[in-house]
Amino acid sequence: MSRFHIIWTVTSKELLDFVRDWRTLAAMLLVPLILFPIIFVAVPMFLQGEAEELGEYSVSVQLVIEEGQDNPNELMSLLNSTSVIVHYSNTNFEQNKSLSDHDTLRDDASLSIRNGEFDAILLLREGDGNASENWEYVIFSDSTDELSREARTRLLNQIDIWEDGIISSTLSENQLERDDVYDPVTWDGTVEAADIATSGEQAAFTFALFVPFIISLWTATSAVQPSIDLTAGERERGTLEALLTTPIARSDLMWGKWLAVAIIASASVLLQLVGLFVAIRFLAAGILTPPTVSIVGWILFVFTILLFAIFVVAVEMAVAMRARSVKEAGSTLGPMVILFIGPALFAQFVNMENIEAWWFIAPIFNICLGMRASLLGDVSIVHAMLWMSSSLLYALVATGWASKQFNREDLVESIS
Amino acid sequence: MPSPLLVVDGVSKNFGDVAALSNVSIQLHKGEIVGLVGGNGAGKTTLLRLLCGVYRPSNGTVRFVDDGENKPVDQVRERLGVVPESTGLYSRLTAWENIRYHTRIHGRNDEKSWDRTHRFANALDIEDELHRPTRGFSRGMRQKIALIRAIAHGPDLLLLDEPTAGLDVTSARKVRDLVKQLGDDGGTVIYSTHMLSEAQRICDRIIILHNGTIRADGSPSELLKDTFSEDLEDAYISLTRDVARSEPVEKDSTISNILLGIFSRKNRSLNRGEEE
Repeated sequence: MSRFHIIWTVTSKELLDFVRDWRTLAAMLLVPLILFPIIFVAVPMFLQGEAEELGEYSVSVQLVIEEGQDNPNELMSLLNSTSVIVHYSNTNFEQNKSLSDHDTLRDDASLSIRNGEFDAILLLREGDGNASENWEYVIFSDSTDELSREARTRLLNQIDIWEDGIISSTLSENQLERDDVYDPVTWDGTVEAADIATSGEQAAFTFALFVPFIISLWTATSAVQPSIDLTAGERERGTLEALLTTPIARSDLMWGKWLAVAIIASASVLLQLVGLFVAIRFLAAGILTPPTVSIVGWILFVFTILLFAIFVVAVEMAVAMRARSVKEAGSTLGPMVILFIGPALFAQFVNMENIEAWWFIAPIFNICLGMRASLLGDVSIVHAMLWMSSSLLYALVATGWASKQFNREDLVESIS
Repeated sequence: MPSPLLVVDGVSKNFGDVAALSNVSIQLHKGEIVGLVGGNGAGKTTLLRLLCGVYRPSNGTVRFVDDGENKPVDQVRERLGVVPESTGLYSRLTAWENIRYHTRIHGRNDEKSWDRTHRFANALDIEDELHRPTRGFSRGMRQKIALIRAIAHGPDLLLLDEPTAGLDVTSARKVRDLVKQLGDDGGTVIYSTHMLSEAQRICDRIIILHNGTIRADGSPSELLKDTFSEDLEDAYISLTRDVARSEPVEKDSTISNILLGIFSRKNRSLNRGEEE
């Protein structure tokens, strides 16, 4: 019986065992597939629903204006159009003191907002200036209270519209157009048309900033559970001993299990990628553009992920195999995932222009930068050789270490 | 006496500072059913793991000798069948899938393995359970499946660690009958148990292990004769009491010499008592 046949026997048994467990199957395959569609569809829908729900509430606002001062009618009518219930009152503001520094008014506002009498307090007085109208204002609100925040937002929105009207009126009185004042130097045409990068290339550039990180994250986390189950789990359940009495070489056992974990983790990562692309292509069509990456770029990208998966799976299996229980393996591998994710996080911010060659041999960084370069279509042969050969070396060292762990005599423990 | 199949020569096994086995020498012959009897912590499981190559000896050798072959046992594992203490079944796989996994690793084709499996399952009255996941199986059922898994590929040497533990009376008898049949068919079996009556019923030879050393090795009748006992329980107690774990066992571990050693130590302590 060939060695490959024995390895495949182990792998196929592990995969059969895996698919029989619907909970793991759902966690590893179904959730990744629907994760991004949920993020792209359900989350915006939910947020929109919540915002609409909040918008249906009326908010109660106290408008405090200078004694003897007329109310600004334009602002009043704007506020009345947005479910803002306005209660008027007058006071004498201290001159030469900004509105927010009126401590007594602030204390009163605090009290009335906290006891629910009002959601926000708008102080308003006429100011100095050459516009058609000049006003000064401040809004007292509670940033930790949803309704108070909503009241503040509605007031600010209506004040913006009111201010816009005053600006237009002032410009009109001085026989000026709006663009004459705000936009004397004008971009002539559309910004998008002037970018020589296609929308697909722009999308690839954006992808290159975050996809290597999330793939590192997915690969590292996807392999944890199956690695533990197939090593420490098997050890804890007592199934490993029976297996070790068979003629299978321990290195073949390691490779069989490694292949199973690699297939499971890769399927999980692949399905997450499919979910991401489906979300971009169909659910966010018109908002996001699918990235344009060359065939060579995709091949390098996939090959780099593969090398990373070999490395990660071997390391995680070796660590899990050293553990005496599933619990111990979990408590070791959980924090260890940070060792993979940390460099991947920093690798997003490494400047690719004139990048030093050593970045492409630094563990984890080499993978992430390799993926970035592949997606950007900015691959130098030297860099590609460096990241591929170093990744291969790390993968071989990791599998060698994992193989050593499988040869430990204390995999089956007991002195009885 | 037929030629030896397995030769254990001066084997010791240490786990750190703990000596689990000390200087164990045994020869197993073709067609023999050998009982390995000892209390908890005697070293039975350690010895079985050494015999199937899961553990490596700290000292000494375990060699498989057959048809001109003379190899370390871990190089001939395809000729062994093992039922470990934990049975080691995958709960999400069916009984047949568990068995098939091992027969495939042994290089047997599924059709022949199924025929043998079905035959043994029939003998143990569990043929209807072969396609059920082992998740809900009783301890006894798991033992039977583990036994079939160990013999489905046709091993020359069968190592059984407490194969009737957890079985009801009828099932235990069926297992013993099957093991006996395997022995009659020329198979060699090592049968670890702490039940002397069981060992007496099916074993041609009994090895008594105590504190990691062999206290006796002979047929049930020899054990009774040499210890002047009426039953094996008395023989076992007289062979295993008052012997300090740290005391070395004689290199020549024939039953007469071991007994001589024990009695001479007893006499020495008696003499000391008289002097006091």
